[in-house]
Amino acid sequence: MNAISSSKKSTLNSNLLLRWSWREIYSAQLWPVVAALVLIVACVVALSALAMRVEKVITAEGRSMLAADVVQTSSYPINPLIIDKADQLALQQSAQVSFQTMGFSDTSMHLISVKAVDSFYPLRGELRLKTKQETLSQHVLPGELWVAKRVLGLLDVEVGQTLAVGDAELVISGIIEADPELVFNPFNSIPAVFIHESDIEKTGALQIGSRVEYKRFFNGADNKLDDLQNSVELQPGEKWLSEKNQGNSGGFINKAKQYLSLTILMVIAMASLTLVLTCSHYASGRAQTIAMLKSLGASRVWLKRWLMIQVAILLAIGLVVGSLLGIVIEALLRLPLTDVLPKELPSYGFLPFLMGASVAILVAIPALGIPLKKLLDTPAINVLQQTKSKTKAAWWLILFPLSAFIYYYFDASMVWLVLVGLIVLFTLLALVSYACILLVSRFKWGPAMSLAISRLKRSPKQSLMQLAALSGSLMLIAVIWLLRSDLVGDWQKAVPENAPNVFAVNINPTELPGYLTHFDQRKIERSEAFPVIRGRLSHINGTDVYRAEQYKANPANILKREVNFTWLETLPSYNQVLDGQWGQSQGVSVEQKVARQLGLTIGDKLTFTVNSLQVTAAVNSIRDVHWQSMKPNFIFIFTPDVLQNLPATWMLSARVSEQDNDLLNQLSRDFPTISLIDFRVLGNKLQSMLAQVSLSLTVLASIAVLSGILLMFTLLRLSLKQRQSEVMLYRTLGATKKRISQTLWAEYGLLAIIAGFVATVGAELLVYSLMQWGFKLTPSLHVEMWLVLPIIALLIVLGSLRSLFKQLLTPL
Amino acid sequence: MSEPILKVKSLSKSITAHGNTLSILSDISLQVCKAETVAIIGTSGAGKSTLMTLLAGLDVPTSGEIELLGQPLSQLDDEARAQLRGESIGFVFQSFLLIPSLNAIENVTLPTVLRGEGEDQVKAKALLASVGLAGRELHLPTQLSGGEQQRVALARAFMSEPKILFADEPTGNLDKKTAKNIIELLFAMNRDNGTTLILVTHDEQLAARCSRILRIDDGKLVEEIITAKASSVL
Ligand SMILES: Nc1ncnc2c1ncn2[C@@H]1O[C@H](COP(=O)(O)OP(=O)(O)O)[C@@H](O)[C@H]1O
Ligand SMILES: [Mg+2]
Repeated sequence: MNAISSSKKSTLNSNLLLRWSWREIYSAQLWPVVAALVLIVACVVALSALAMRVEKVITAEGRSMLAADVVQTSSYPINPLIIDKADQLALQQSAQVSFQTMGFSDTSMHLISVKAVDSFYPLRGELRLKTKQETLSQHVLPGELWVAKRVLGLLDVEVGQTLAVGDAELVISGIIEADPELVFNPFNSIPAVFIHESDIEKTGALQIGSRVEYKRFFNGADNKLDDLQNSVELQPGEKWLSEKNQGNSGGFINKAKQYLSLTILMVIAMASLTLVLTCSHYASGRAQTIAMLKSLGASRVWLKRWLMIQVAILLAIGLVVGSLLGIVIEALLRLPLTDVLPKELPSYGFLPFLMGASVAILVAIPALGIPLKKLLDTPAINVLQQTKSKTKAAWWLILFPLSAFIYYYFDASMVWLVLVGLIVLFTLLALVSYACILLVSRFKWGPAMSLAISRLKRSPKQSLMQLAALSGSLMLIAVIWLLRSDLVGDWQKAVPENAPNVFAVNINPTELPGYLTHFDQRKIERSEAFPVIRGRLSHINGTDVYRAEQYKANPANILKREVNFTWLETLPSYNQVLDGQWGQSQGVSVEQKVARQLGLTIGDKLTFTVNSLQVTAAVNSIRDVHWQSMKPNFIFIFTPDVLQNLPATWMLSARVSEQDNDLLNQLSRDFPTISLIDFRVLGNKLQSMLAQVSLSLTVLASIAVLSGILLMFTLLRLSLKQRQSEVMLYRTLGATKKRISQTLWAEYGLLAIIAGFVATVGAELLVYSLMQWGFKLTPSLHVEMWLVLPIIALLIVLGSLRSLFKQLLTPL
Repeated sequence: MSEPILKVKSLSKSITAHGNTLSILSDISLQVCKAETVAIIGTSGAGKSTLMTLLAGLDVPTSGEIELLGQPLSQLDDEARAQLRGESIGFVFQSFLLIPSLNAIENVTLPTVLRGEGEDQVKAKALLASVGLAGRELHLPTQLSGGEQQRVALARAFMSEPKILFADEPTGNLDKKTAKNIIELLFAMNRDNGTTLILVTHDEQLAARCSRILRIDDGKLVEEIITAKASSVL
């Protein structure tokens, strides 16, 4: 009987507790706490979900370009140990041998590159082979011969006729429509054919000393693939290829991903700060209530429960609303990306929600824990008098998010760099801001301004904190916005709207004038015609780059293969000269990355082998080249005198529109040996991809800016609320409304302008270093921001404080 | 005379701030018996509130002994003192100190809720009716006048049937007429419940309604007056 009544009583008790806690949240200043929590959860959920999806898509794309998940390449037959291991691991496998040999038709001959594959090739990506009857197949079978369309023109044969590949006489089965391994290289002028591996021997092309590349393709679970790659030590000439080290398509997507994670960090930082501010404000506002409850006999256990219920409700709302909002934001961020991402998106599972919840809880432990612990320690005596609590704040709670952060980002040097930079910058900013106040106080001002300045000077610690927080958050949103603009700008510069979309290469000097008139009659925008001569770099300042030890391990690819040279009177206008000066004779201009890899400086003497002849030129300049711009570009550009007299073919690029299709067809027919490469599909895809990624970066940046504004809004309102009693005092002492309002505006206005100015300087520094060292792009200054940021700061102050000022100044 | 329920022996309180030691109370000894009404009076800053916080165990003295309801306070920790307060002591404060997010009846049931006993709605309702607030149970503090809020505080103070009621300037924030009503109510409820009352005030007239007056000046107990009322209690 007694037990029943007491259990009934205790449920009633917890009912009141729940009701009360809910009302505390509802009516007390806990909404900003909820908002900050929701923001953290939503951002982490949305951004990590999106990042995961993009990651999966990029991985899939990268793998399809490799034709497998992982590829082993070697100049020798693949190590049998690797194949055994792969068999053990039950991986899917496929093989390819590629080499060059001569192709012979009845009437002509030409060098062709042969890919001999097994019937499983490709394991990923699309190989599209089309017969004369337009039937498609995806694998090569024994006895088949599939050729690039250009082979038909070059060798004057047709599908169904016989072609000799080396010594092997094969009937052409059809055309190669799509090759998964095809990369963008207009100069790859040797046409390709596919045969089955069982026909290799018949070609008689594999002889000792002939250049052959062996590839073995593997598909399987990630951990098994890792196992495989770790199982054997690589011999010289052997290499593993995976989408991770073949990221040539994902260059800007990678930058977008870096930007994404940087933004997540900044948003979390700002939302956490909002959480800390609002929570400590809540705690200080509740000190008397706690003291009163203690005076009425509340035990610590009871008070703890009371606070925990509130925290639990806060977290529950934060997690649920945040997760839902996160789903919406992810969809919103994805909206502009519809064409970039595949229709069928990989699901992101529950991991983003788990991450959102863990980040929020980790941040909440100190943000809520420290002030609430202090609140719990409020002495009962505070019910009557304000005494300072003697208990130490529980700073150790910070260790929770800190250790998680360290664990997670242990290897990410960029994150640490940014973090250390931010801390140093914040300290500097606070000091500089304070120096600004001191400086301003030197001048003579009206009474309102003088009062405001003296107030700022009187409580330096508080003013400094406010300034640092204000200028810090302003700076972060400026950084996020500027980075977005710089990245997008850089991409647009790299792939401009009017980029060329067709290339014609392999043009005979005799065909050139006639070929050009076709373009000019149609008034088609085209580049100059560039002479193209293939050759190798053989000596640097007399040192043989093939023999000398110092170049053995050099990463420069050009030491291993022939490259295209050109000679020109003047350098192309779209190449920026970084060092040196273009000259008139015996000179060569070098692309900067290659120059860096080889350690070249102006004046170095380079020797090249061209058609078994040796030519020598001195480095006269170093150029910056945007390879993605799809304009004709060369690593080495010579002054005319060096190469002019050697035989060359010519190339050009042009921008054609849809109406010019007939011209392209006609050109292919009339000039069968010139390869006309159409990049319109690829170009358009790249263009729209850029536009879409840019748009979603803008959405992302907007979210970050919003969270920064929320932070500043909270900060300013809380700081002003703490002034309430002071304002009341001024009022009772007879200060006019006008005077008080002027003083407050002067104080916060001054704060805003100084914070805006300091934030500008900080943002420029940060963006500059991030562009320079983080994203490895050319940094620039942003003059317009110098004006805009202080104005924005003023507007934010005005927007967040106007209504409060009125409230503060209503008659007592 | 009945057993004293509050015994104070040579109580002192001093505060150290910025290296200076400031003596707020010095060498105060007194005794209070059950059902007595004691007024502590003195000018502002004399140390009345400080004395009250010590007597109620809200703070600890620098030296001296307090025995409250047979328990020496110096031997109790924070938690034990809170428990003692919750079981046997009621408070009425100058600034009412109601929970703004709780309505009248919830504020009244608070002491029992704090003890983990659940809401005794019936009793709370009866108490609210006895302070003249029948029908206002669901109103929030912001919907009540100052006098009404103090009535709720009175009802709350009697909710846990305290043995001792401490009131610190209970009418300090009220106008004269309202103050008079509250005082009438306070003494009536005190009488009806047989509670010991310790009333802190600077109002001599108000003090005169108690059975005993202790005058504090500059932290010292300077005068003790037994009023005419005293006989009626005994
Ligand atoms: N925490 C404290 N710090 C400094 N001085 C205090 C503190 N508490 C009380 N005092 C001082 O002790 C004296 C007595 O205060 P109090 O007991 O509140 O006086 P009363 O209630 O009689 O007006 C006052 O001079 C007050 O300034
Ligand atoms: Mg007092």
